[in-house]
Amino acid sequence: MISLTSPVKTAAHGWPAGGKLALLCAATLMLFAVDGAALHLGFLAATAVLYALPGRVFLGAGLKRLFVLWPFVALILLWHLITDDGAAGATIALRMVTAVALANLVTMTTRLSDMMTVVRWLTTPLRRFGVGTQSIELAMALVIRFTPVLANKGQALSMAWRARSVRRPGWRIVLPFAVTAIDDAEHVAEALRARGGL
Amino acid sequence: MERTVALIAIFAALIAALGLLPNLMLTSGVPITAQSLGVMLCGTVLGAKRGGLAVLLFVGLVALGLPLLSGGRGGLGVFAGPTMGFVVGFPIAAFTAGFVMEQLRSLPVGLAAGIAAAVGGILVLYIFGVAGFMMVLNKSLIETLTVFSVYIPGDIIKVVLTGLITSGLARARPASVLSRTG
Amino acid sequence: MPSVSSSLIDLHDVACAAEGKQILSGVTIRADERRIGIVGRNGSGKTSLARVMAGLIPADQGRVRIDGVDVAQDRRAALRRVGILFQNPDHQIIFPTVEEEIAFGLTQMGLSKSDVKRGVHDVLRRFDKLHWAPAAIHQLSQGQRQLVCLMSVLCMVPKVIILDEPFAGLDIPTTRQLERVLASLDLTIVHITHAPDAVRAYDRVLWIDQGRVLQDGAPLPVLAAFSRRMMEIGDSDDLSDLAG
Repeated sequence: MISLTSPVKTAAHGWPAGGKLALLCAATLMLFAVDGAALHLGFLAATAVLYALPGRVFLGAGLKRLFVLWPFVALILLWHLITDDGAAGATIALRMVTAVALANLVTMTTRLSDMMTVVRWLTTPLRRFGVGTQSIELAMALVIRFTPVLANKGQALSMAWRARSVRRPGWRIVLPFAVTAIDDAEHVAEALRARGGL
Repeated sequence: MERTVALIAIFAALIAALGLLPNLMLTSGVPITAQSLGVMLCGTVLGAKRGGLAVLLFVGLVALGLPLLSGGRGGLGVFAGPTMGFVVGFPIAAFTAGFVMEQLRSLPVGLAAGIAAAVGGILVLYIFGVAGFMMVLNKSLIETLTVFSVYIPGDIIKVVLTGLITSGLARARPASVLSRTG
Repeated sequence: MPSVSSSLIDLHDVACAAEGKQILSGVTIRADERRIGIVGRNGSGKTSLARVMAGLIPADQGRVRIDGVDVAQDRRAALRRVGILFQNPDHQIIFPTVEEEIAFGLTQMGLSKSDVKRGVHDVLRRFDKLHWAPAAIHQLSQGQRQLVCLMSVLCMVPKVIILDEPFAGLDIPTTRQLERVLASLDLTIVHITHAPDAVRAYDRVLWIDQGRVLQDGAPLPVLAAFSRRMMEIGDSDDLSDLAG
């Protein structure tokens, strides 16, 4: 399972994840605390600079991830142009893009294992109360392990559908899909018990 | 215990795997996304606690940077964007669906699941989704509801499908429909 | 130069790649035999070849025609000519009851409700399984489920049926019973397998290795060469090698 961490190495890849997340929180709060299109244009430009520093590949990947926002940006700009409130519309759109871009930046420069370290730290109080948190890490590992397995089965069912129908697969394949998932869960539980249980 | 952890993890993986399927076609030619079906199924099949945990696990992994949302989306950016309310609301919607499901034991499985999916997957989910949208895009309640009204017919269809699929599962694997047995 | 009559199975210079890896290359098969075996190791491309023949995966290059139909382009005509049976019935069966599952292909072909009912009835009667009609799939054994999959394909009356390792995971008695069923079928069978014994009595066998046709001819010599090579590889250690 490929994570969204960028293969392009940046300085930020080495910084502690907790610190980056704290910075992100502070930056996002600030974005939502201030108003003004010119100011937000400045913020977005600064964010763009951060993206450009590690090179063209990184910048390209970052822009691709922001592309999904275009319908919302269009919606906002159109809406506010019609209501004659262009400046507010620009502020909202710019702020949203900047906030998403900064959040994506943290994701792109933080390895999954470093994020898991943060999770471990956050769940420390649970451990103090005797709650076993290894199950959480195990569960995460299982999801990562089994998503591609289940996806393959979904593909197999889609192919079995297309082998007998010209139409695209319908909702019906979700049922055998879920049955397969339940059966897999039983096998996993068996394997866990065989290895000493939880 | 092992079974619980396994079911929670595998159902979280199922939501992710459903996101990787191309849009499913209904007979009328209307496309629907399979992933939100998965969220509601977690509630109606696993019940409130386990269903909620399964979806929480899914959302948590999305936050950690895995591209598990349909379209290969993921990472922290999702929580800063206009649909953040829906993603944050997923676990609570699943929990609610499971809770309602557990209360409606006297009804036939399909009907109970449909009602549970409607309460959790539409009512509760939209409260969070709409609130998130209002916050990020600075819109009023009326304006936001207008935007989302187009999705309601599709969501009603998903509610019906959740009922049908849950009742199918109750027949194929009755012991695993924990909302009824556990 | 082009032949006046073309073969039932006509693949010409077929190539196909996925995720940067070349899966099939230069595959040319012209076949009219009734029983054709395709052997190869796991990962040799034989499963992809099955899907390309069935039109489920389009070839990047070359021509794939079954009974003159371009199976990837003209899906409607393809469905009436070629059927495919996959390895695991649980990854194939979509509906919860036997009659619904068998009816699926017929319904999708646009037949009327009465024609669909008749088609389902006919195939069940042919296999003497009329009592299976209302049965739930989860009550059936693996072998029984595989038979349901076979019936679901046969009721569409294809000219060619492709079997992708259909006996995997089935015990010996069940395998023999299903083999008898297959032997009785009056259509072209393309049987993909990694086990030579299943196709020893066939008319023609092809050996696929690393996406190419390595050998193509009478079963006994091809299978002898294939078995010899498999033993050689087994005596060495390519288990350590990671794919790609």
